[in-house]
Amino acid sequence: MTRGVASAPARRIPGAQRERPPRREHKLNRRQFVCVALLALLLVGVVLVHVWLRLQVVKTGYVLATATKLQTRLEQENRELQIELATLTSPDRLESLARRRLGLAPPEKGQVIVLP
Amino acid sequence: MRRSTQRNVRRIAAAKILFAVLFLAIGGRAIQLQLWEGDKLMRLGQRQHLKEWIVLPKRGAVFDRTGEPLALSMESQSVYARPHRIQDPTRLARSLAPILNLPLAETKQKITSEKPFVWMKRQVSSAEAEKIQALNVDGIGMFYEPHRQYPQGQLAGQLLGFVGRDSEGLEGLELKYNDYIRGETGSSMAERDALGRRVLVQGVEGLHIPPGSDIHLTLDTSIQYMAEKELEASVMKYRAKAGVAIVVEPFTGEVLALANYPSFNPNNYAKQSPEQRRNRAVTDSFEPGSTFKTILAAASLEEGIVGKDDLFYCEMGKYPYAGKIIHDTHPYGWLPFSKILQVSSNIGFTKVAEKVKKERYYRYIEKFGFGQLSGIDLPGEVPGLVRRPESWSAIDLATHAFGQGISTTPLQLIMAYAAIANGGFLMRPYVGRRVLAPDGSVVLENQPHVVRRVISEKTAKLLASMLQDVTSEGGTGVMANVEGFEVAGKTGTAQKADPVHGGYAAKKRVGSFVGFVPANNPRLVALVLIDEPEVNVYGGIVAAPVFRNIAQGALRRLAVAPDKASPLPVAESQPEKVNRRSTRRANFPAGGNEGTADFVGLSLREALEKAQTLGLKLRIQGNGYVVKQSRAPGKGSNDEEVVLLNLQG
Repeated sequence: MTRGVASAPARRIPGAQRERPPRREHKLNRRQFVCVALLALLLVGVVLVHVWLRLQVVKTGYVLATATKLQTRLEQENRELQIELATLTSPDRLESLARRRLGLAPPEKGQVIVLP
Repeated sequence: MRRSTQRNVRRIAAAKILFAVLFLAIGGRAIQLQLWEGDKLMRLGQRQHLKEWIVLPKRGAVFDRTGEPLALSMESQSVYARPHRIQDPTRLARSLAPILNLPLAETKQKITSEKPFVWMKRQVSSAEAEKIQALNVDGIGMFYEPHRQYPQGQLAGQLLGFVGRDSEGLEGLELKYNDYIRGETGSSMAERDALGRRVLVQGVEGLHIPPGSDIHLTLDTSIQYMAEKELEASVMKYRAKAGVAIVVEPFTGEVLALANYPSFNPNNYAKQSPEQRRNRAVTDSFEPGSTFKTILAAASLEEGIVGKDDLFYCEMGKYPYAGKIIHDTHPYGWLPFSKILQVSSNIGFTKVAEKVKKERYYRYIEKFGFGQLSGIDLPGEVPGLVRRPESWSAIDLATHAFGQGISTTPLQLIMAYAAIANGGFLMRPYVGRRVLAPDGSVVLENQPHVVRRVISEKTAKLLASMLQDVTSEGGTGVMANVEGFEVAGKTGTAQKADPVHGGYAAKKRVGSFVGFVPANNPRLVALVLIDEPEVNVYGGIVAAPVFRNIAQGALRRLAVAPDKASPLPVAESQPEKVNRRSTRRANFPAGGNEGTADFVGLSLREALEKAQTLGLKLRIQGNGYVVKQSRAPGKGSNDEEVVLLNLQG
């Protein structure tokens, strides 16, 4: 596009005003070029940022997935432990342990004393 | 120069056309892909990198009144195979069989099957799952499935019910409260990478599905355990077919224990018979027998037809009535009404029924809740069978008087006794106390609910005192007596109807006992029913001792102080273990004549024991061992006023 603007007048008047090209136009061309270049750079920058963000999202997604998996595993472990605890403290087991290991028995007549 | 320029121009034009055509072609293709086939292609692409993750429902837990878990859910893994993907079935079978604990032939048969998908083993343990994971073979995979666990095993099995493989409650509380505790199934679309790993870029919210609500029951695990243990012991001892024991809080209708024998373990429900699964307390009705006499007694007392001391002639054991002869187990002559209840005379009650008349009697049967559902939060309840008085024949009035020709569930019967215990209110029984959402908010709360007032408080108190006589010397329920408490209750020995030949079976009986304790301020009502005992059939023998043992344990558990102070045995006869310290330190004086006893140095237990043997009243301050007593040892006398003890730890 920049090239097109620069070469069009040269073709119409060959040789005639070669030493004095329209300075203002030339200046404008350069400014335009810088503008467009900056715009392009910006665009590329934006695209790069977008890609970077996207990568971050994916990366975080992995972390999140791992964390969720860990959470599920820990929850599962917690439930297993709860079940184990409940099984170990079931009245059936406690009674037999109290009787066998500790030699305990239900209180006999007179062993229960009510506080005044 | 000019020619070359012209050629260049032409070349340029050609290039322009070429590029234009190419651009057009690409543009056209782009339009075709985007507009015409866009949707289809997007779906194809998503199928590769998006995957639907299904979140299984998390079923809520069931807890007893103290927070002890009775049912919990976890996810266990099930192993499957895709046989067509398996490379070397023989080798794989050899490594799989020992891990899964399956026979080699069966394993091989499964992985060489023609089907595209086979379950190898459902619900494997976490150790097994880890080993399978370590194998890492193509064609063998694992799938999470919810799995219900009942950590207490068979405890309250029939009450809890069970859950099928698809996480739906099929029996008991699991069925009744299924809508609350089931939890929701959710799904979410999440991306996955080339290796199939989940990348949570979107759909995170979808994975957070709230679990089901928890149920907190009115049941007390300890009392339930005692009830089951005692019931089983009696059923075994008397070689009975089945048994039911229920414990209810009379003022609220809260069920503290509900035991059935044969027991049922919901952890492997599939292996047990429907007989075992049945919660007989609500699904079966029995002819109640003599325990029903209390209902007639309540009706006659409330209506003022019969007084406690009114005399009836009991015909010396044989009474012709409506073409039949009514028998008593022992012949009696003239007896007051209270005595008739105490010895459970059929003839006496027939005469009372004649005075009450069938319409009035029926009204009370209905008021006490018989023939209607109790409204308990359990599935499968039956109303029992009560015929309307219009269809009663002449003999029916007599048989209904002693609980025949009528059928009730054990639960209905215990609720009727609860009404007598609590001063005349029929309560609605309940097991589920509240349902709590995962965030702790109350979803449902069952409050005590009065169905109706059945009898006046005066009648209830009078009846309670009469029922107390049943368990005292000379009554049929002496064996139900709990040490230190007054028990009110009634025994029952009912004949069983013979479904094949009609009439009553010659030998089949149901022995029962229903009662409440302490009689004056009841804390619990309990019913024990032993179905078809062989060794002995009488309710006073097969059921009353079970009542005593359950009540004794339950009262201790509920920390109810005995209302009669039991005389303490002398110190020497105490078990060595309990009084190890006292034998060393304290010598109990033989009598109370040497002035106030010396308490200094004794522990609280020893001091209290000593005071009880001496009949001395104490006031206690502090904890630990006695350091000071308000009256010096040897001064004054033991039967003077209260002695103050200071204790320090």
